[in-house]
Amino acid sequence: MTVPARDAILGRLRSARPTSRLPRADAAGPAKIARHSNDDCLKRFEVEARGLGVDVWVELSPADVRARVASVTMGLRVLSWDVEHLPYDVGVLMARAVAGSAPRDEQALADIGVTGCDAAIAETGSLAMITGPGRSRIVSLLPPSHLAIVRRAQLCGTMAEFFSDRGAQLAEASSCTFITGPSRTADIELTLTLGIHGPGRVAIVIGP
Amino acid sequence: MTQTFPLRVRRALDDKALAGALANVSTKLRAGRAVAFESLPDAETIRDQARKAKLDTLRDLPAELERFEGRLLANGAHVHWAETGAAANRIVIEIARAHNVRTIAKAKSMISEETHLNAALESAGLEVVETDLGEYIIQLADDRPSHIVAPIIHMSRADVGRVMHERLGTPLTDDPATLGRYARERLRRVFLDADMGITGANFGVVETGTICLVTNEGNGRMVTSLPRVHVVLMGIEKLIPTLADLDRFLKLLARSATGQKLTAYTSLITGPRRPRDECGPEVLHVVIIDNGRTALMASDNAEILGCIRCGACMNVCPVYTSIGGHAYGDTYPGPVGAVVTPGLRGLHDWSDLAGASSLCGACRDVCPVRLDIPRMLLNLRVAAAPRCAPSWLRLAMRAFGWVVGSPAMYRIANTWARLALRARSRQGWVASLPGPASAWTATRDLRAPAARTFQEQWRKRHAS
Repeated sequence: MTVPARDAILGRLRSARPTSRLPRADAAGPAKIARHSNDDCLKRFEVEARGLGVDVWVELSPADVRARVASVTMGLRVLSWDVEHLPYDVGVLMARAVAGSAPRDEQALADIGVTGCDAAIAETGSLAMITGPGRSRIVSLLPPSHLAIVRRAQLCGTMAEFFSDRGAQLAEASSCTFITGPSRTADIELTLTLGIHGPGRVAIVIGP
Repeated sequence: MTQTFPLRVRRALDDKALAGALANVSTKLRAGRAVAFESLPDAETIRDQARKAKLDTLRDLPAELERFEGRLLANGAHVHWAETGAAANRIVIEIARAHNVRTIAKAKSMISEETHLNAALESAGLEVVETDLGEYIIQLADDRPSHIVAPIIHMSRADVGRVMHERLGTPLTDDPATLGRYARERLRRVFLDADMGITGANFGVVETGTICLVTNEGNGRMVTSLPRVHVVLMGIEKLIPTLADLDRFLKLLARSATGQKLTAYTSLITGPRRPRDECGPEVLHVVIIDNGRTALMASDNAEILGCIRCGACMNVCPVYTSIGGHAYGDTYPGPVGAVVTPGLRGLHDWSDLAGASSLCGACRDVCPVRLDIPRMLLNLRVAAAPRCAPSWLRLAMRAFGWVVGSPAMYRIANTWARLALRARSRQGWVASLPGPASAWTATRDLRAPAARTFQEQWRKRHAS
């Protein structure tokens, strides 16, 4: 039944051509993708992410990163990416964390999700997360808070740059999510409310 | 549609609360858009490039759809085609039955409003819950969205509190944060328990066979990550060529819709979960829907298929911001709706909408892909006009053409009209006019013309 529908739709589109009045459009060709220095990316990322209400810490050593993560997660039930996917040996702090493979209801009880990321995009203050084994998408979604650990080398100037460099990898994975600040809604009288379904609090630790 | 368009407009204009809500939309969302575009220095170039990408893809749509289908299949998705909304709904019900689905979590999708999907699912015995906060309230209130980005903009916070109190038994409040928390608590269970998730698609990327979905709340991510089945409904016009194009469209969409640089969550979905992934749907079904779009493609108004549903045209439209979304009578309100609705549903019942515009062009100016909506509204007015005007009108038009075609005649006619109007006026205003001109004076006075025309004053000033 669906095959005839397909042919009917494509057939109608082809026979629409003579009467279809689609204007011609002209545009400049795509600009060369601008690359930015790592320092510029860091500065821009901090400004953009903080503008969205994200806590950003820049730490100078792996030990400082671990100390920061320990203080942020202290006393909280943690849901975490598999430890080998967390940079700076942060995994050593995750001994009692719930993993992405645990039962859903157990994951849903977590207070904070701890992840790495695939890139941190400076122009919008976004985290790019490509799904893969041990890197469950739920970790950055179900808990009321999300803590991401970013290596400085993962900073990337623009989304255009990310697509250009990582497009092939992205298309191999089932999903890629750009997280830009906390979950938000303004459906009721255009009044901003944070944390409606996803995390209401996002924190990012950038290491060396 | 139970009332005629003029009656729906009258009812909207009499609604004082609606007027306040619409003023809120037009000021906040317009200002947000303006500020957001300041952060995009090459916005004009990006708009040109996006427009070209969209129109070029539409021009070659059959081949692009086949390529997209090929990529989807290669990614492990199932592809369905539906000629009508009813056919699309049947396909979704069949998928649900084939996977033993009982409960469905749904993200916001305009095309599902078009096909009246929820009613079809419910009559097939399936439980479906809208999970976008605004759409959830709409579902609880058994109402319809009135704006494509802000669906409950016609409701006050007190209205929302009352609906949730009556339908869910939550304590009565009008605090948006508290109401949001009530919704979060209830919908959390829905996300975790749902067997199937349904979403629309903001874009389909041909190059990779990727579905792009943008949400701010995170419900789109929940619905595409937790249930074991994911169904995507998309119109045939949603395709864009590459990820590089997607970057440009995302820059424009968020800025135009909500004044953000990027929505909180932008999800790119390329097939179902991979074997070793911990989450994501086991199966992904994509339903590609016509529902009137091929007819639009064959018409003078094919350009409207380039619309990316940002809603910016609504926020600037003097008509939409006066009458709101419900008055337009169908899924898509505002300037875009006035073109899309007659295109999808037929001009016969919907020709009134083309008149609901002052043709000021604000919609064209803000449209991220520069759709020439005023031109398309004029096309509809021409198509809706009687094929053959009555003979008295043709005679009158010929006479009018003869008079205004000659400067001397025009001057004479102008002088007569001016003298006649001045003779009828009192204290500078004409309160009533005879014949067809009474249509003007029935609702407002006409200012009397000046004693001397501008040209006469100009000549006099230059002579002295």
